[in-house]
Amino acid sequence: MILVDSPVANVANIARALRAAGATLDVTRDAAAIARASKIVLPGVGSFAAAMTWLRETRIDAAVTEAVASGAFLLGICVGHQLLFDFSEEMGTTRGLGLVHGAVRRYEGALPVPQIGWNKLRLNVGRASARPPRGRRAEARPTSPLFEGIEDGEAFYFVNSYAARGVASEVATADYDGPFTAAVQQERVFGVQFHPEKSSAAGLRVLRNFVACN
Amino acid sequence: MQLIPSLDLLNGRVVRLTHGDFDTARVYGDPEAVLDALQVPSGARLHVVDLEASRSGRPIETGIVRRLARRDLVVQVGGGIRSVDDARRWLDCGAGRLVVGTVAANAPELLASLVETFGPERIVPAVDVRDGVIRVDGWSRASSASLRDVFARLEELQLPEALVTDIARDGALRGPSFSLYRSLRALTTVRLIASGGVSTRGDIISLSRLGNVSGCVIGKALLEGRLRLSDVPLSNSIPERVIPCLDVRGGRVVKGVSFENIRDAGDPVECAMRYEAEGADELVILDIDRGTDRDTIRRVAESIFIPLTVGGGVRTLEDFRTLLRAGADRVAINTAALLRPELIRECAEEFGVQAVVLSCDARRSGFSPTSWSATIHSGREVTNVDAVAWCRRAEELGAGEILLTSVDRDGTNSGFDVELLRAVSGAVKIGVIASGGAGRVEDFRDAIESGGARAVLAASLFHDRVLTVADVKRHLAAEGIPVR
Repeated sequence: MILVDSPVANVANIARALRAAGATLDVTRDAAAIARASKIVLPGVGSFAAAMTWLRETRIDAAVTEAVASGAFLLGICVGHQLLFDFSEEMGTTRGLGLVHGAVRRYEGALPVPQIGWNKLRLNVGRASARPPRGRRAEARPTSPLFEGIEDGEAFYFVNSYAARGVASEVATADYDGPFTAAVQQERVFGVQFHPEKSSAAGLRVLRNFVACN
Repeated sequence: MQLIPSLDLLNGRVVRLTHGDFDTARVYGDPEAVLDALQVPSGARLHVVDLEASRSGRPIETGIVRRLARRDLVVQVGGGIRSVDDARRWLDCGAGRLVVGTVAANAPELLASLVETFGPERIVPAVDVRDGVIRVDGWSRASSASLRDVFARLEELQLPEALVTDIARDGALRGPSFSLYRSLRALTTVRLIASGGVSTRGDIISLSRLGNVSGCVIGKALLEGRLRLSDVPLSNSIPERVIPCLDVRGGRVVKGVSFENIRDAGDPVECAMRYEAEGADELVILDIDRGTDRDTIRRVAESIFIPLTVGGGVRTLEDFRTLLRAGADRVAINTAALLRPELIRECAEEFGVQAVVLSCDARRSGFSPTSWSATIHSGREVTNVDAVAWCRRAEELGAGEILLTSVDRDGTNSGFDVELLRAVSGAVKIGVIASGGAGRVEDFRDAIESGGARAVLAASLFHDRVLTVADVKRHLAAEGIPVR
């Protein structure tokens, strides 16, 4: 498994957590190696635009896209999760990797921004933005393999000012004065807005589930 | 949770009296202009008290109630309703509900005929309580009827809700009487409208968590602009955090009273791992040598999978960076920020708001019961900086959270300084971590419920295993406070 060695502070923490979750890890910035990988973790903290600029300069953006096109599993964490979307409204509009449809927007509401702390996940969410046809109940989607063994309502640690909302691929939501997308899955592409490496046993379980994907 | 703005009317104007004295009326202006200024959303409920009516015993401000009722609002009117005719008069003006004062305890027959004539959903009985006893006749005397009797009567009349005021509370200081509303949970199924002392966002969240409070009346805090309706979050289910603190010196955990009389309390890595296993949501390490012991930080950071906040002796941007590199997720700054506030802005710009914690050690200043000074050098040196104003300034400069320690309470196990917590949490939007004084499991509840803290921190209590983190979280959950 490859952990993209983004120039951010939490790569070492994610590496330690992934190893604790059983991963054999290669921490690298080598775009060619990333393009060939079968499983990739994309971390990120700080600003979306800065992260995207770095991915473009290192050509890791194309490498990740190429790997996914050839069937690789990908997990984006925090800003790494946000980078999967079409665009973010952080500092104007910045294009993302476009691997997952939707946009990332700033929190609005009465709660302080950034969100700093634990928040409970709702799993088995349906398509949050789509209403079920008249007379039919909303169909619960099967839980993503990422949340195997995790109970509905389990809390994870978040640090974020921006989030997606109501996107088609969401597999977990949380509430921060209104629901937001806490995790997405589109085939082999996964993203989590929270920090699994700081979410104690539940976070390690999510990482173990990703390690086990094949 | 229904937020019910309250307007007291006198001579056609919104006023506030001090201690019920009509000569002290402070005038806020025309009721509709006040409503516009408060940005009361349409469909909201409005609590209107006709002060002259409560003095004279007959409806006076009917014209205003008629005007207010024409707006898309449910107006509930109170003030000296002493007969079915008075009640009809108000309802004819468009009032949606009637608040009837002491009749619930004093005149059960009148209450019954009001309910019979207008229906239970129109009538809101008001119950005023001091020290668990109902007060009647302008609070001047105790009622012979017990709380149990009165609420049994309300249930019999199928009244869905009651307006309950604890008149002993000095609102601004201690907030609403959570203990009164909690005790009524076991006594009655009647939903409560809390009145008196509601002055912060935290108060509203805490009331909603009690489960039996369906609304709250807010007066002074709205009129004085200390609280805005749009500032109140709808969510109340975000887990609050329990944070053990390791005071570290020379690579060992130590403890002391009011930052003095230090003694050894164990190995930091062992403590940290035990706390994570017990359910700690975060860990704080304070290096009391103020030497930023990087090696200890690194060893602890590498042994846990929960967030780590580190403080002690951070003077520069480089100190801050060093601690982040050693594995801290967030860094607390204290003395250096007070000496040079711009440090907060610089750190927030460089590392992000989420990484910057302002650590404020506050000491009661003695000028007034609600005045605290910020201290420096681990509480040893009192400055002339007001602690509440300093926390507000730190938020503006870019602090993401405030670690607020009561120097007076630290190490005493006599409870958090809830008044200090209220003063700061009501003044800032960012989270406040309560620190200093935890002794009993209820202290943690009070810090969150009454103090408005978003996290609670303790050191010696957990080191000495008087309580475990799990004990605290179980207690909070049982009290309706969400935890992980």
